[in-house]
Amino acid sequence: MGKKRKHSETQAIEPKKKDEGAPERPKRTLMGWKDKKEVHKQPDSNPESNPQVFRNKEKVMVTCSRRINYRYRHLMLNLVSLLPHCKKDNKVESKSSKGSTLNELIELRGCSSALFFECRKNRDLYMWMASCPNGPSVKFLVNAVHTMEELKLTGNHLKGSRPLMTFSSNFEKDAHWKLLKEMIMQIFGTPKEHRKSKPYHDHVFVFSIVDDHIWFRNYQISVPHNESEKMVRGGLDKMTLVEVGPRFCLNPIKIFAGSFGGPTLYENPFYVSPNQIRALEKRKKAGKYAKKVKAKTRRKMHEQSNPLEPDEFADMWKE
Amino acid sequence: MGLRIKDLSFLQPENAADDDVDDEMDPHSEEEESESESESEQEDVKLMEPSKTAVYNQEGLVEKLEDISWPENVDWMHKLSLDVDQVKEVDVNDDLARELAFYTQALEGTRLAFDKFQSMGLPFLRPPDYYAEMVKTDAHMQKVKGKLLAQKRQIEEAEERRKAREAKRIAKEVQAEKLKERAKQKKQEIEEVKKWRKQRQQSGFKDGKDSMKDLGFGEGKAFERSSKKRPGVSPGDRSGGKAKQGGGKGNNKNKKNREFRDSKFGFGGRKGMKKQNTAETTNDFRTLNKGSVAGNKKRKR
Repeated sequence: MGKKRKHSETQAIEPKKKDEGAPERPKRTLMGWKDKKEVHKQPDSNPESNPQVFRNKEKVMVTCSRRINYRYRHLMLNLVSLLPHCKKDNKVESKSSKGSTLNELIELRGCSSALFFECRKNRDLYMWMASCPNGPSVKFLVNAVHTMEELKLTGNHLKGSRPLMTFSSNFEKDAHWKLLKEMIMQIFGTPKEHRKSKPYHDHVFVFSIVDDHIWFRNYQISVPHNESEKMVRGGLDKMTLVEVGPRFCLNPIKIFAGSFGGPTLYENPFYVSPNQIRALEKRKKAGKYAKKVKAKTRRKMHEQSNPLEPDEFADMWKE
Repeated sequence: MGLRIKDLSFLQPENAADDDVDDEMDPHSEEEESESESESEQEDVKLMEPSKTAVYNQEGLVEKLEDISWPENVDWMHKLSLDVDQVKEVDVNDDLARELAFYTQALEGTRLAFDKFQSMGLPFLRPPDYYAEMVKTDAHMQKVKGKLLAQKRQIEEAEERRKAREAKRIAKEVQAEKLKERAKQKKQEIEEVKKWRKQRQQSGFKDGKDSMKDLGFGEGKAFERSSKKRPGVSPGDRSGGKAKQGGGKGNNKNKKNREFRDSKFGFGGRKGMKKQNTAETTNDFRTLNKGSVAGNKKRKR
C-alpha cells in the first residue's frame, strides 16, 4: 500500500520540477544573479492561482578562513550537510576576507547569501551571515559549539530533508531581531522543491533567543517505528525528539547594511570581545606578584620606622 | 565560566575606545599569543550596562528587512517557519532548564507543523521503508549505539556490584546469628550436664545408668557425631576428609606425584631413626668422596 502511494507522489513532483526549470534557464547570466529582488519576483510559466509565483532560489556559499580549528571546521561541515542548497568553497585567506574579495567570490559562485566562518587565534570563531549583492550582513561570535560527531547526540535524519524552523516569540521584539530572523529563515531554510531536497520532514531547527544570544539546536522527529503509518491517528502524543546536533550559540556583534561591510545598522551594546576578557584575566593574575612585592616593601618600611627596643637580657649569658 | 560580571566593571572605560570589531585584536595581540589553552572558549561575559556609543539605526534595520523579506503572500510551505511562545524566562546557566525550553519549543513547533501538514494533506514524516542518505553515516551511528550499550552495561555492572555487596553484608549477619545460636546451644548443653551431675550426686549415685535416659542424653543428641563427617574417612583424620577434598579433579596429578615421593622417601613414622648413623653408613665413604672431588674441580679452575 504505502509503496504504491509513494511512487505516485514522486512521479507527481518530478514533471513539475522540469517544466519549472526549463524556461528560467535563459535568464541566468554569466555573473549569477543580478538582483535578489528580481530573482524572487520572476514570473513563472507554471499555471497556478496567483500570477506572480514565488520561487525561492536561495544559494548559500559556505566558507571559512585559513587556520581554522578542527572543531570549528567540523561545525562548518555539519552545517554544510544540513543545508542541501549550499555550496562549500575553499578556505579564504583571512586578511583578504575584508569585503570585496568575498563578495566577488560569492558572485562567481552564483550564490545569493553566504556563511563565512572566521577563526581568530585558533580559538575564537566569528560567523558572518550575509545576503550577497546588497546586504545586510551580520557578524556573530560563536559560543558553546558542539558538533554532530559528539556521541551524546544520538539522533539522525535524512540528508536534505527540509527542516521545520521554530523561532521563539521574542524574535518579534526588536527590529534587529526581526531582521536576523528573516535572514536566518532565508539562509537556513531549504528551498521548496530544491533538487537535492527530499520530500519528507523529519527534523526541526530551534532558534531561540536566551540572554540576548541566538541558540541553535537541531532535533530529529521520531515516532515509534511501527506506528509511523498510523501517525494520522494517535502518533502525535507519542512524538518525541532526539537531538542530532550541531549546537551553537550566536552572539550578534554588528549588523551592516552592505554585504561584508557598509554602514553599521546595529551594534551590540553589551558585547565584550574575548580578547578583552582574556586580557583582563591576565591582568588579574599579573597583579598578584606586584601585590606581593608591595607588601614586602611596606613591611620593611614599617620595621625601619618602628625599630625594636634593645633587649635588656641580650648579654645576660656573656659574663 | 571563568569570570563574573562584576570583575569587568573597570573594563568599561577602555571598552569604548576599542569598540570597533575590526580593530579589536590589535591592542592585546602580542601578549596573548602565549597564553595557556586552559581558559574555556565559551566564556560568556557581558557588560554591566549598555555602552552609550553603540549604534542602533532602527529605520535602517526596518528598511533592510523590507528589502530582503519575501513577498507577503508567500505560501507557508516555502518558509516552514513557526513561532513558538517562550513560556517563561529561561536561566542561561541552568543547562537542564535551558535545554528543556529548547526541546519544548521544538516539540510544540512540530505539533503545529504536523497539524498544518495534515490539513494540507501533505506527507510529513518519512515512511519506514524510505531509505536514503542520512546526515550521519551508518558507521557513526554504530559508534553511537556502541556507546549507549557500553553505558548501559556499565550501569548494570554497577548494579550487580552493589547487589553483591549487599548480599555479602546479609550473609555476614546470618553467619553471626548462627554462631550466636551455636554458642547458646553449647552453653545450654553444659548447663544440662551440670544439672544432671548434681541430681545424681543428690540421689547418691543410686539409680545408675537408668537416670541417663531421663535427661535427654538418651536421645543421643548431644553425643551424636556430627552428621557432617563423611563416610570412608580414616579415624585419625581430623579434618573429616575435607582436607583433600578442596583440590578436586585438578589435584589428581599432584596426588600421584605425592604417592610416588612417599614411596621413594617414605612418609610418616619417626624421623630420628632414619637420621642416626648405623654401622653401614659409617663405613660408607662414597658420599664423602663425592663432595671432595667436586671441590677439587672447582679449585683447579
